[in-house]
Amino acid sequence: MEQAPPDPERRLQPAPLEPLGHPDAGLEAVVGEEVEAARDEGSGDGTMTENNFWLKKIEISVSEAEKRTGRNAMNMQETYTAYLIETRSVEHIDGQSVLTDSLWRRYSEFELLRNYLLVYYPHVVVPPLPEKRAEFVWHKLSADNMDPDFVERRRIGLENFLLRVASHPILCRDKIFYLFLTQEGNWKETVNETGFQLKADSRLKALNATFRVKNPDKRFTELKHYSDELQSVISHLLRVRARVADRLYGVYKVHGNYGRVFSEWSAIEKEMGDGLQSAGHHMDVYASSIDDILEDEEHYADQLKEYLFYAEALRAVCRKHELMQYDLEMAAQDLASKKQQCEELATGTVRTFSLKGMTTKLFGQETPEQREARIKVLEEQINEGEQQLKSKNLEGREFVKNAWADIERFKEQKNRDLKEALISYAVMQISMCKKGIQVWTNAKECFSKM
Amino acid sequence: MSGGPPKALPSTGPHSLRDMPHPLAGSSSEEAVGGDSTPSPDLLMARSFGDKDLILPNGGTPVGTSSPASSSSLLNRLQLDDDLDGETRDLFVTVDDPKKHVCTMETYITYRITTKSTRVEFDLPEYSVRRRYQDFDWLRNKLEESQPTHLIPPLPEKFVVKGVVDRFSEEFVETRRKALDKFLKRITDHPVLSFNEHFNVFLTAKDLNAYKKQGMALLTRVGESVKHVTGGYKLRSRPLEFAAIGEYLDMFALKLGTIDRIAQRIIKEEIEYLVELREYGPVYSTWSALEGELAEPLEGVSACIGNCSTALEELTDDMTEDFLPVLREYILYSDSMKSVLKKRDQVQAEYEAKLEAVALRKEDRPKVPADVEKCQDRMECFNADLKADMERWQNNKRQDFRQLLMGMADKNIQYYEKCLMAWESIIPLLQEKQEAK
Repeated sequence: MEQAPPDPERRLQPAPLEPLGHPDAGLEAVVGEEVEAARDEGSGDGTMTENNFWLKKIEISVSEAEKRTGRNAMNMQETYTAYLIETRSVEHIDGQSVLTDSLWRRYSEFELLRNYLLVYYPHVVVPPLPEKRAEFVWHKLSADNMDPDFVERRRIGLENFLLRVASHPILCRDKIFYLFLTQEGNWKETVNETGFQLKADSRLKALNATFRVKNPDKRFTELKHYSDELQSVISHLLRVRARVADRLYGVYKVHGNYGRVFSEWSAIEKEMGDGLQSAGHHMDVYASSIDDILEDEEHYADQLKEYLFYAEALRAVCRKHELMQYDLEMAAQDLASKKQQCEELATGTVRTFSLKGMTTKLFGQETPEQREARIKVLEEQINEGEQQLKSKNLEGREFVKNAWADIERFKEQKNRDLKEALISYAVMQISMCKKGIQVWTNAKECFSKM
Repeated sequence: MSGGPPKALPSTGPHSLRDMPHPLAGSSSEEAVGGDSTPSPDLLMARSFGDKDLILPNGGTPVGTSSPASSSSLLNRLQLDDDLDGETRDLFVTVDDPKKHVCTMETYITYRITTKSTRVEFDLPEYSVRRRYQDFDWLRNKLEESQPTHLIPPLPEKFVVKGVVDRFSEEFVETRRKALDKFLKRITDHPVLSFNEHFNVFLTAKDLNAYKKQGMALLTRVGESVKHVTGGYKLRSRPLEFAAIGEYLDMFALKLGTIDRIAQRIIKEEIEYLVELREYGPVYSTWSALEGELAEPLEGVSACIGNCSTALEELTDDMTEDFLPVLREYILYSDSMKSVLKKRDQVQAEYEAKLEAVALRKEDRPKVPADVEKCQDRMECFNADLKADMERWQNNKRQDFRQLLMGMADKNIQYYEKCLMAWESIIPLLQEKQEAK
C-alpha cells in the first residue's frame, strides 16, 4: 500500500493560536486531491475502490448546536443536542465557497462513525472525539452536558474531529465518512449494514493476547508504555490545572472587596477620597478580568484533552498488533505441533505425550490404513496451516508497516500541535501578566494622588 | 524577604563577657565624640567594656558583636520624614541591629537605638543604647501618663496571637524593628513629645532599669493635673469638631479592619494558589522526560512556572511583612486616640460641672473661683493640643497610606513583571525548530 506523501496541503494547518479551530474560522481541509495512488487500504471493506470523493477543496464546519427532544430506542422521551454540519466546496477560480451539504447529527452518531473507523482502520491512529461527559472541571464550570459552555466546547471539538478525519490521507477516502457528511437519513443503517460490529475484536480476546503474546514488535511495546505514561501525565496535568484555575479565581475575586471598602472609606476622607475611590474602581476591573482569562485557558485544556484521548487511540493500534502477533504465534504453534504429530505417526515414535498415544497403548495399535488416513488428514491440515501462516505473516508485516507509517505521521502532528498549544498558553500568560501590570499601575497612580 | 521557613536569629548562647568586645568599643571607625581631649566618662566606660560588666536591661549577656556605629553609616540609614523636609532637624533616632540574648531565665531580643542631636537637652551629641520591647512599652506608658493631652503613637502588638509565629524568626524581628523605628521617629517628629524627659532618658541612659525603679517622673504641669481628673462627670455637649473626630475615628477603624481582613484573605488565597502551582510545574517536567522533540519546550514551561511560583512567594512574604503590620498599627493608633478623646471629654465635663456648681451657689458677685479657672485652663490646653495633634496625625496618615498603598501596588507590579519576563523568555524556546530526534 502506498501511503500518500505527507503533503503540507493535505494537512490540516490550524491557525497558530487556535489549533482547535475558531468557531467562525471554518477551517479548510484540502483533501485527497491526488487522483492517483488510491489503492484499497488496510483491511476494511468500507472503502471504495474509487479514488476519493473530494474532488475539490472542502470546508467542514460544525456551525450550530440545538437542543432537541425525541424518543429513544425504548420509546422514552429524551433530550439531546444535535449539531449542524455544513460542508462547502471551494471553487478554485474565485475562492467562493458553495454550500454543498448540510445535515444534523447527534453525538452518538459521531461515536458510531468513530467505532466504525476503528474497526476498519486498525492500523490508523484514529482521531478522538471530545469527551462525552465534562471532566477535570474547576468549580465554576458546570459538569452538566446541557450547559451552554460545555455544548459550545463540544461543538468545537466535534468540528475538530471531522477536520482531523478529513485531513487524514487514509481516512478521508472512506465512503462511510463521506456519507456521514452528505447523507442524513439512513446513514445509521448503512453503517450497520457493513457489519463492522461483528468484525470488531472482542475486548476479552485482546486482553488475552496482551498477556500471552511472546514476541511483539519492540517498537509497539515501547509505544504502549509511552501511551500509558502519556495518559497518566496528561490526566495529572489536567487535574492540577483545574485546581490552579480554582485558586487563581479566588485570588482575583477577593480583590473585588477592595473596590467596595475603598469606596466606603473614601466617603469619610477629604483629600484622600478621590484617589481611593478611583483605585477601588481598578480593583473591580481586576477582579472581573479573571473570567475571560480562565475561559481562554479552557481552550488550552481542551487541546491537552485531545491528546489525552489520542493516547487511547495509540493504545488501540498497539493492541491490534498484539492480537495479530498472538494469532500468528498460535497459528505457528499449532502448525508445529501438527507437524510433529505427523512425524511421529510416520516414524512410529512417540516423543510427546498424546491422547492417541495413550489410547494406542491401552487399546492396541491402530491399523496401518487408519494411520495412513490420519497422516493424510494431518498433511492436508499442515498445508493449509502453512498457507495460513504465510498469509498471516504477510498480513502482520503489512500491518506493522502501515501502522508504523501512520504513527510517524501522528508523532509529527502531535509535536506540532502541542508546541502550538504551549505557545498559545505562554501567550495567554503573557497577556494576563500585562493586564495585571496595567491594572496595578493604574491603581498606583490613583494612590499617588491621595 | 526570604522564601522558605522563617530563619531563627543566630545565637551563640551564653558567653563569658570577657570574650565579647562591646559593640561600641570600636577602634578607628568610632567618631571622635566629645572632642580630642579626655572623652567624657560615659564613653570612657563604654570603651573599656571588655573588662567591666556590660549593663544591659535585666543584665543579660550580649552575644556576638556588631559593627560600631560610625556616623556616616548612621546618616545613610536615616529616613527623613517627608513633611519635615526643609525644616531644620536637630534630632535623629534610629532603631537597628537586633540581637538575641540567651540567659538562664529567658531569651529576648534587644535593638540598638542610635541618637544624634544638637539639642541642649542632650549632654552628648551622640548616643547608642540597647533596648528591648519591654522598654518601649514602658516609654509609651510614661508618655501617655505624662502627656495625656497628646496622641501617642502605637507600638507593634506585644503578643503574637495568630498562627505559629516564631518570635525569634528573622522576618518577625525585622517587622518589629521597623515598627519600633517608626514609633520613635513619630515621637521625634512631635514638637512636644520629643522633648519629653522620659524620652530623653530612654534614648540616653545606660541603665534604664535603675531609672525605672526610681519612679522619678517630671510630669508636665498639665499632665499632672489631668492625671487627677476624676471620671464620673457627664458631658453636656461635645464640641462639633471633637464629635466629628470621634465619628471619623470610628468609621476609620472599621474600614481599616475590613481592609485588614481582605488583605489577609488575599494572602491566604495566594498561598493556596502557590501550593497548587508548586505541584503544577513539576508535572511538565515529568512529561518532558517522556518526550523527544517536546522535551525542551515542556521543561521550559516547567521552569517558567517555577519562577512564577517564586515570584508569588516573594509577593506574599512582602505583603505579610510590610503591609499587614502597618495596617494593624493604624488600627491601634486610632484605638489609643479614642481614649485620648474620652479623656478630653472628661476634662470638659469636669469643668462644666464645676462651672454649674458655681452658678448655682448664687453669690452676689459671680466670680469664677480659682479651681474652676484651672479647669477651664486645662480644658482649653487639652483642646488645643489635641487639635494640633489631630491635624498632624491626619497629614501623616495621608502620607503613610499613600506610601503603603503605593507600595502594595508596586509589589504586585513587580510580581507580574517577573512572571512576564519568565514567559516572554520561553517563547523563543518554544518556537525553536528542532531536528528530528
